[in-house]
Order: sequence, then structure tokens, then C-alpha cells
Amino acid sequence: MNKILKIQNLTKNFGNISAVSNVSIEVEEGTIHSIIGPNGAGKSTFFNMISGVIPPSEGNVYYKDKDITGFESYKLPHMGIAKCFQITNVFPKLTVRENVWASIFSCSHKSKIDLFKSMNDFETIDKETKKIITDVGLSHKIDDKAEELSHGQQRMLEMAITLGAKPDLLLLDEPTQGLAPEATVEMTELIRKLSKKYTILLIEHKMHIVMEISKIITVLNFGEKIEEGSPKQIKNSKKVQDAYLGRK
Amino acid sequence: MKNKYSFIALIIFLFVGPFLFPNATITEMLIFGIVAISTNIMLGYTGMLSFGQALFFGTSAYISGLMLLSGFPLFLAIPVATLGSFIISLFIGYFCVKREGLYFICLTFAFNQMFYFIAYVWTEVTGGEDGLVGVERPAYIDTQLTFYIFTAIMFLFAVIALYKIVTSPLGLIFKLIRENASRAEAIGYNVRFYKLISFSIASTFTGLAGSLYVLIHSMVPIDQIHWLKSGDIIFMTLFGGVGSFLGPLIGVVGYIWLSDTFSIIWARWPLIMGVIFAIVVLYFRGGVSELLENLFKKYKSISRKTEHEQNIKNTKLN
Repeated sequence: MNKILKIQNLTKNFGNISAVSNVSIEVEEGTIHSIIGPNGAGKSTFFNMISGVIPPSEGNVYYKDKDITGFESYKLPHMGIAKCFQITNVFPKLTVRENVWASIFSCSHKSKIDLFKSMNDFETIDKETKKIITDVGLSHKIDDKAEELSHGQQRMLEMAITLGAKPDLLLLDEPTQGLAPEATVEMTELIRKLSKKYTILLIEHKMHIVMEISKIITVLNFGEKIEEGSPKQIKNSKKVQDAYLGRK
Repeated sequence: MKNKYSFIALIIFLFVGPFLFPNATITEMLIFGIVAISTNIMLGYTGMLSFGQALFFGTSAYISGLMLLSGFPLFLAIPVATLGSFIISLFIGYFCVKREGLYFICLTFAFNQMFYFIAYVWTEVTGGEDGLVGVERPAYIDTQLTFYIFTAIMFLFAVIALYKIVTSPLGLIFKLIRENASRAEAIGYNVRFYKLISFSIASTFTGLAGSLYVLIHSMVPIDQIHWLKSGDIIFMTLFGGVGSFLGPLIGVVGYIWLSDTFSIIWARWPLIMGVIFAIVVLYFRGGVSELLENLFKKYKSISRKTEHEQNIKNTKLN
């Protein structure tokens, strides 16, 4: 299988403290690869280094064999990497349609001249916008402002914005964070559906979801990779059990 | 639909304005209308507060005035002065947009004062404290009315161009930045670049207005490049309301009319303006335009209710 994302010896030091230390993983194309770990394991720092939010102290990130280490985050969607945030991160005063439209436009406009055209001149983007909004189940809210949606609906909108970039690789940072049980089931189903189309790197706290949908799981603890394997292997790993139970 | 009515009202205002206000006043209103509407692109649409817009207004007025004094035609002086503002805005904006919030404000303020002191000490070119005087209007706009018509045409051109911008994808990107800059970056927009574009658009149109201003009183007073003028621009924009495209124009008309009226009545008139500004900021965050819109909505809902009650009464009687 083709490796779409290769991360080699990624390290992040904050002064004398090492938040992530020498972590290497390889993500297979067309799979769900999850990163788990107890609180403070360094998952979010690791995620932020991959998505260009913070530059790594050492190590490299290769996407489709291209070194993208330290690339500014706005460049990544244009290369096919999209990110879904841990905290709901939408454009509150804009409508659901505008939220998704802007995301699609970002990666599909061909020249700077398009910036000055009328918004009505982009029929294809309008159609794609409607399709994505329908896919995430928000078609009845299309002209509502994002701030008027429930938390669960905002999470779905967040996902729709991410999909608008038409990515090859989806970076999902705790997509079920703060969701009610029913909404969590919906989101899990959506991720499962998306995995047929996209490669997914998932950071998730809820173990049952990770075990249910991942192909490969990497476990971090105190900034280091302590285990990697299939859900079954991870479930039976003594190292992982020790990490979660706080045993050294 | 709302915009359609606003534009009809604007056209009516352009025709009626000279009958409501003295020609010089209405012309000044249109000039500052360009400034406030363009400043709103940066302030209301992109969420960037600049205390340096007088820099572009004043600099452009000086360029335009100096060119006219040197014998260049007006149709060359206006584009050159506007282009000058654009180039300066790119240079200054490049540094300013590297910072956000308070630091951005401080940088724009600092550049504004830098240019003010250049104008202040470079007496042989700018006239220093006395301002640049003796600029004459070309013969074809030498009456107040013809100059008003000329300004109104320039104003309409600016308003249409700015409206095109806010209703284009670029306008949407500005709103994304205002709403959530980090998310805008995450979906692929180079936020710093678009902030620079927004800053430049506002500054270029402010420059266009400055190049016209020199013709009102045939001079450029030095206070037109002082940071207090930048404060006035912010005041006018907020007073009118940053929530709508033409709202800032209402602020300009109100501000100029009120200051003209109060300055005749009482020498300490800025005190009254200060109180009005405080009331607007405290109780009408959306400015006068939002207040008018809410009153209109209330009136509509009351008249609908009355009509409904009347219908019920009629049905009962029948």
C-alpha cells in the first residue's frame, strides 16, 4: 500500500520540556490511522506540527513524498490536506452556505481575477456547496447563520468546511468532542463513510470509536510513541494498559 | 432588496443633498463618504482598526495639490495621488499586518504621526503649519455646483467599485478573516496577504478622496494628515454603523452636519460630539444605520399587527 504521509522523528521542545519526542509514523492511503494517548501525551502538539500550526524542533513531515515540514497552514489545503479542529471552529456570523462555499472556493479558484467576480458566477461551487451540506445533513439549515446551529450541527458544519477543500488526507482532531451520544454515533458513521473516499489521520479520546473504525493505531505517552498496531494488538498491549492506568 | 432600496435612497440623496446643505458642505460629505465607506471595508468587513487613515488622505491631498500647483491637469493629478496612496499603503501595510489588535493599531498610528511630522517640517514643499495653499480648481469645475457634480460622479464610481468588492468572493474572504482568522488560514487563505489587500483597498480609496479634498477650499490644511483626523474617520464610520455597506455614509452626514451646527452655537462643541459618540458606542453598537433599521422593522411589525387586528374585527363584524 502507498504511504501518503510519512512522519520521521518529529520532535517539539518547549524550553527544556519535550512535548513530542522522536515520533515516526507512516499513514497508508485509504485507511483510518488513529493517534491515541492519555491526557498530556502530546497528541495535539503532534497534530499541530503536521498541520503547520507550530513548526517542529526536529524531524520531517512528508506528504506524497514531498517534504512539507514547517509549511504555513494555509498552503496545506491546496496540496490536499484538510484539518478539522478539536474545538468547534466555524464562521459564526456567516450562513452555513457561506461557510462551506468559502472553503470550496479557496481550493478551486484558478486565478486572482476570480476574487473580483460576482459570487453568482460560480455555478459549480454553488452545486458542490449544496451537495456537501446535504451530505452532512444540514440542508434544512443552509441559509441559517452558523451561530444559530446547535453544537452537534456546528460540528457537522465544521466537517463540511473541512470536506470543502476536497482533500486526499483528512486530519481530524477529536471530531466527537462535546457531542451528545446520538450525535457521536452520527459523526462516527460519517467518519466511516468518509474513510471510503479519504485517508484519515484521527486523534480521538473515545476509545470505543477508535477501536471500531481504525485500521492502525499509534499510542503516544509522555510525548513518545509506545505502541503501534491494529486495534486488536493495541487492546492487548500491556504497555498501553500500563500507560492508561498510570503504571510505569 | 435591502441594498436596492439603499441605492435608490443614495441616488435621491445625491440629487436632494445640494438643496439641504450648502454646496461646500455636501461636497465635503461625499468626499468623507468615500473615506468612511472604504474604511469600513477594513474595519467592518475585515475587523481591522487603523488609526492611520489620515496618512493616506493627507498625503494624497498633498500630491494632488502639488501637481496642480505645478501645472499638471486634474485628470492626471487624481490618478497619480491615488496610485501614490496605493503604493504607500502596500509598503506600510506590509509591516502593519504582521501584527494584530492593539499592536496593529499602534503601528498605523506611528506611521501616521511619522508622515505628519514630515509634512510639518518639510515647509518648502508642504507649507508646514500653514498648509499647502493656492491650489486652484480647473475652469470646468470652478463653481461650487459643478465641483459638487464632479465629486458626486467620483463618489458614485467609488461606491460602485467598493460594492463590487464586498459582494465578490474577496468580500467574503474579508468577512472570514473578521469572523475567525485562524480558521480562514486553515481552509487555505493567506490571512496576512488578504489583510494587506483590505488595508490597501481602504487606503487607496481614502487617497482618492484626499485628492479631491484639496479642491474644496483650494488648500491642504496640515490637520488633514494629523492622527486626530484618523480618529474622526473612525468616529464617522462607527457613528454610521459598520454593519452595513452604506451605514458609514450616514455617520459622515450626521457628523459633519452636527459639527457644523454645534460649532456655530458653542465653542466647546467637541464635548457634545463626545457625549453623542459615547451614547452610540454604549447603546447603539450598530450605529445610526442599525438604529434606523430597527425602527423601520418595529414600525413594520406594528403596522402588520394593526392590519391583522383590523382584519379580525372586520371578519367578526361580517
